[in-house]
Amino acid sequence: MEKYISTIKLLSGGFVITLEIFAYTLVFSVILGLLVSKGRMSRNPVIRSLVRIYISVMRGTPLMLQLLLVYYLPYYMFGVKTGNIKIGPYSYDFIATIIAFTVNYAAYFAEIFRSGIQSMPKGQYEAAQILGFSKSQTFFRIILPQVFKRVLPAMTNEIITLVKDTSLSRILSIKEMFFFSSSAAARMSSIMPFIIAGVFYYVFNGIIEITMNRVEKKLDYYQ
Amino acid sequence: MKVFEMKDVKKAFGDLRVLKGISMTVKKGEITSIIGPSGGGKSTLLRCATTLETIDSGAIMIGDQTLVDTKDGKTTYCSKKGLQEIRSKFGLVFQNFNLFPHFSVRRNITESLVHVRKMSRDEADAVCDRLLEKMQLSDKADAYPCNLSGGQQQRVSIARALATNPDILFFDEPTSALDPELTAGVLRVIRDLAQEHMTMVIVTHEMAFARDVSDHVIFMDDGKIVEEGKPSQVIDDPQSVRTKAFLNGF
Ligand SMILES: Nc1ncnc2c1ncn2[C@@H]1O[C@H](COP(=O)(O)OP(=O)(O)OP(=O)(O)O)[C@@H](O)[C@H]1O
Ligand SMILES: [Mg+2]
Repeated sequence: MEKYISTIKLLSGGFVITLEIFAYTLVFSVILGLLVSKGRMSRNPVIRSLVRIYISVMRGTPLMLQLLLVYYLPYYMFGVKTGNIKIGPYSYDFIATIIAFTVNYAAYFAEIFRSGIQSMPKGQYEAAQILGFSKSQTFFRIILPQVFKRVLPAMTNEIITLVKDTSLSRILSIKEMFFFSSSAAARMSSIMPFIIAGVFYYVFNGIIEITMNRVEKKLDYYQ
Repeated sequence: MKVFEMKDVKKAFGDLRVLKGISMTVKKGEITSIIGPSGGGKSTLLRCATTLETIDSGAIMIGDQTLVDTKDGKTTYCSKKGLQEIRSKFGLVFQNFNLFPHFSVRRNITESLVHVRKMSRDEADAVCDRLLEKMQLSDKADAYPCNLSGGQQQRVSIARALATNPDILFFDEPTSALDPELTAGVLRVIRDLAQEHMTMVIVTHEMAFARDVSDHVIFMDDGKIVEEGKPSQVIDDPQSVRTKAFLNGF
């Protein structure tokens, strides 16, 4: 019994880092994804193709590889010693993780946002234009709220995948939950820590699903 | 006093010439109906007048401002600032309403007042309440468009267009998307506006309504104005073969 409790405690400590990776990635990749989706629909053909290439590379290569690339790139390309880099309490390992996750997830979110934005009827833009709304007012007041509702189910899928993908950061020795569960499993010669880790992920994703369902229900008041 | 004027407006989509030189004027308080067969360019005319499409040549004036003019073969639009000013002078009512589904009726009407005209919420609400009463929709201020009938939605969209107090209101087939039993309410609202001498340009297939309400009727076919004049002339006693053929279909 003691073993279980100490393992749960150990994993809870790691879960805080898991949550941090999750939260930073979600916020940054949604913002970056919006910008990328704009670039993907840009009138400028150069921007449009560059963004398209970026998205296809992000979706076509493993996230694990992207993590390693972001981690090693500064040193092997520019000779920058990343050991001394620190932003607040975060070392470069953690920063590289957030960058790689953000850049990867932004590509997925961008495609979701793009399809949502393109599904909006032209009449919404036209009505807004006639009423004198500026381009940015039209986007943020009229279009985006409706797009958000349309893309919510697709976003929920990505968010759930993100929770599971945080475990990949173990490759950069980030001390998140999965790191602790593997080391505890090795130390104890037991799969019990893995099962507990699984329960953590499962419960967390359950909470996310319930929350997103609530948000969807809340937006049921129109259409 | 002229509120709206078009001079020799031409517009093509690729090779398809849709407006082949349209000239018209609308005086203050006057109601002009535009009738004609499908594909004749009526919607395109309204969309050019309301800045939703750009023209290839010709001139458009709204109030005392020039939206676009052609001089020495060069067609130039006014500045961005001028465009913003001109957009505050007219309203457009769409065939399919184009209400904002995520906003309540009240916010549909007040959003532009608050965020474009910079009115206070209270002022905007007062405007909204007055207009909803006029549309006989006072009890629907907090409803969402999806819970209204088509006729009610169209009346909300008329209220939204009126909220900015435009000098001229354009309608593109305001009742075509409605079930027959719902058109009457919308037409009654437009009649009321006519009584108040609201300047309006109405594209419509409702001939009886056009005859009653208009001061001026334009029959348009194949990108040209074929015949125009008082309703008693154009609708009751058409001269052109094409106008006759079109009206015989009703
Ligand atoms: N954006 C566009 N691109 C290409 N062609 C267009 C476009 N808009 C309109 N057209 C074409 O222009 C012609 C005139 O269309 P318009 O919608 O102005 O006619 P209308 O008189 O309003 O017809 P209806 O009574 O059916 O509404 C049609 O042949 C139409 O297919
Ligand atoms: Mg039309």
